[in-house]
Amino acid sequence: MRLRGLLWLNAVLPTLPVALLASAAVEGRVELPKSHSAPVQAKRYEVVTKGGVLSTQPPLAVVYLEGAFPQSTSLPTKQVRQKDLTFVPSLLPVRVGTTVEFPNLDDTYHNIFSYSPAKRFDLGRYRQDDRPIPAQVFDKPGLVILRCDIHEHMRGLILVLNTPHFVMTDTSGHFRLEGLPVGHYTLKAWIDSRTTREKPVDLKSGQTLHVDFP
Amino acid sequence: MNSAVQARDKDVTRFRTRLFTAMMVIVATLTALGLYLAQRKVTADAERNLQQSFQAELSSLHKLEELRHAALADRCNALVTKSRIHAAIEDNAIDLLYPSAKDELRDLMEGEEPPPEEAAQSLHAKFYRFLDSKGAVIKPLNPLDVGELDAETEAQLALDKLPDKQQIGYVQQNTPNGGGFIDEVIAVPIFSTDTGDVISALVIGFKPLEVEAKHTGMKSGIWANGQLHLPALPTSTQASLNNKLAGELADADKSENYFRVDVGDAPQLLFYKRLNPASLFPPAYEICVYPLADSMAQLHRLRWQIGGAGALLLLAGFVASHLVALRLSAPVKKLALDSEENRARRKRAEAALVSAAQDLERSTRYSADASHQLKSPVTVFRIGLESLLGREDFKPEVYEELSTLLHQTHRLTSVIEDLLLLSRMDAGHLQIASDPVDLSQLVNEWLDDLDALPESPDVKIEKEFSTGLFIAGEKRYTSLIVQNLLENARKYNRPGGRIRVSAHGNGSNVVLTIGNTGGTIPPGENIFERFHHSSTPSAASGHGIGLNLARELARLHGGDLRLVRSGNDWTEFEVRFSAVDGVNGVA
Repeated sequence: MRLRGLLWLNAVLPTLPVALLASAAVEGRVELPKSHSAPVQAKRYEVVTKGGVLSTQPPLAVVYLEGAFPQSTSLPTKQVRQKDLTFVPSLLPVRVGTTVEFPNLDDTYHNIFSYSPAKRFDLGRYRQDDRPIPAQVFDKPGLVILRCDIHEHMRGLILVLNTPHFVMTDTSGHFRLEGLPVGHYTLKAWIDSRTTREKPVDLKSGQTLHVDFP
Repeated sequence: MNSAVQARDKDVTRFRTRLFTAMMVIVATLTALGLYLAQRKVTADAERNLQQSFQAELSSLHKLEELRHAALADRCNALVTKSRIHAAIEDNAIDLLYPSAKDELRDLMEGEEPPPEEAAQSLHAKFYRFLDSKGAVIKPLNPLDVGELDAETEAQLALDKLPDKQQIGYVQQNTPNGGGFIDEVIAVPIFSTDTGDVISALVIGFKPLEVEAKHTGMKSGIWANGQLHLPALPTSTQASLNNKLAGELADADKSENYFRVDVGDAPQLLFYKRLNPASLFPPAYEICVYPLADSMAQLHRLRWQIGGAGALLLLAGFVASHLVALRLSAPVKKLALDSEENRARRKRAEAALVSAAQDLERSTRYSADASHQLKSPVTVFRIGLESLLGREDFKPEVYEELSTLLHQTHRLTSVIEDLLLLSRMDAGHLQIASDPVDLSQLVNEWLDDLDALPESPDVKIEKEFSTGLFIAGEKRYTSLIVQNLLENARKYNRPGGRIRVSAHGNGSNVVLTIGNTGGTIPPGENIFERFHHSSTPSAASGHGIGLNLARELARLHGGDLRLVRSGNDWTEFEVRFSAVDGVNGVA
């Protein structure tokens, strides 16, 4: 879907005057850590810990524009599902204030909790058919590590961001952020729980800035 | 004699005393040696037994501890896989650690304290604490849930660094009333399931397992933090033991040993063994004090037994030595007696010998002196008579008288010479040469002289010997023998009688036989005695030296002189000489 959009943009952009959009875009590539595991056939992402550092496997990054943006009153509810004893998606970037539901799609109990400073919660044990679907509002920026009290190996990450402008890279590290406001900002790339790279960007109306994170 | 018996008895008594003393020394030495060895053996046995007992008790304790440790390790391994514990530690939610662990460790803390025999399996903890990444104690929010500890005790739980394996330690808690007790703590590392690193440690406190007292009177305790905890002993005793232990345990290399101590007045054997070798916690030692009363009693008993045996042995030795001394001293006594008699006898013999020798010497000296004293006046007398005879102014009958006197002086001289010779023989001064002497010629010469003698009676001489009979001797003395015998044969003959002289070689001897007619010598008369005079009155009488001298000389020549027969008008003497080898041949 996104790829198609990008293709469409590529086709359209040269024909449209940039100024008319009144917004800027950033595209580029984040140098992702090498994945040591064999390519996963089923596109199943997992959160792994290496030396106390959490990251997704295969590696993915979240690129976001940091700055003071007005609070949004209505944010769409997101979901982190438990399917086949993993969190899906394994890494979810959300804007502060977002409600995230944790539907249990497995036939077993799950007990999702987090001791992360950004959000402490404990959903207790629940099953697939328990209603309402347990949900939490993430109102503080930061990394929330999701765990299941019953299944010790399960890890999920929710990156709570104080910005509406964020996007996940594809597996090769490519990203594109559109509809960005014009001005001086800091563009950040979250790579793993310990690594966030940043670059100052000067966004100009109608321009697409190319930024690479080495 | 009485004093001799006393001396002998004293000797025997001395011998017996000496024998008994020797036996006593041997028995006493043996007894002392026995006592010493027995004491050493009993002591060594007691120590070994107690050591074995200590080891056995410790090993049973060790087994229980291992059980407990294994169970704990299981628990901790299970615990650290718990998401909440992990989350609390890894996600920096330390405040949630104890609440998270509370549920997991609830069974450790709850419930009644189990009976001692189940203590190892039941894992009934008194308290627990987590250590942070630096090894410091993470303070619990609600100490009631995790077992209350005073700050001092809690500080003892901290380690310099997180352990990578189980560590055993002992912490001391002081009670307000001045007492104190020891808790065993086990620090179990908590590994991150993600990284494998040690992220924390759980320190769980237990009531220490107690050494099962199989040995009666054994008291066990723990030495930790420089303090002995042995509640069974009074405080003052603990303090004194503590000093000894502190000195002993200052040497950290000694993980196990024992030594003797006196608790009160009773000797005890104190064993110690490090409970937590190579632990990050300060060293702690299991202390067991065993009373040596049993072994002392045994030793006491043994001492009595050995002492008694020694005394009995000594008594037996006394009796035996007495008997042996008696038996041994009997021959000694006899010997003493015999030797005394012998001595007396010998003394008497010696005295007799001395007096005899003195007599002999005296008589010898006397006769020698007398001979010399006599010889000079006789010579003067004879020379006087000869010069008188040379004068021509005397009457013829005076010459005859002088001639007779001169003849008597000659006789006197010969007697004196005989006496001189005898005295020399008696003094042992006479040496006889061993030259060949022609006996035949000697006898012939003397027979010729015999004929030439004046007033010789009318006797017929028969010769029955060959010429050239040689004997070994000295001519002047053999000649004296022959002269003596021939003169006697003539002197004691009867008128018209005869003298027969025969000689023949007889092996290594030459035998000369001289017989004559005339009066017989009565049997039993010792004619060879010196100065013998015939009991039968006879006109012809000698001076009583001749035969004696002749026999002495014959004997000095290695031969002899004997009277062969005397009776029926015939007296025969036989003199034996040694023949000269190779001169006479074998006749």
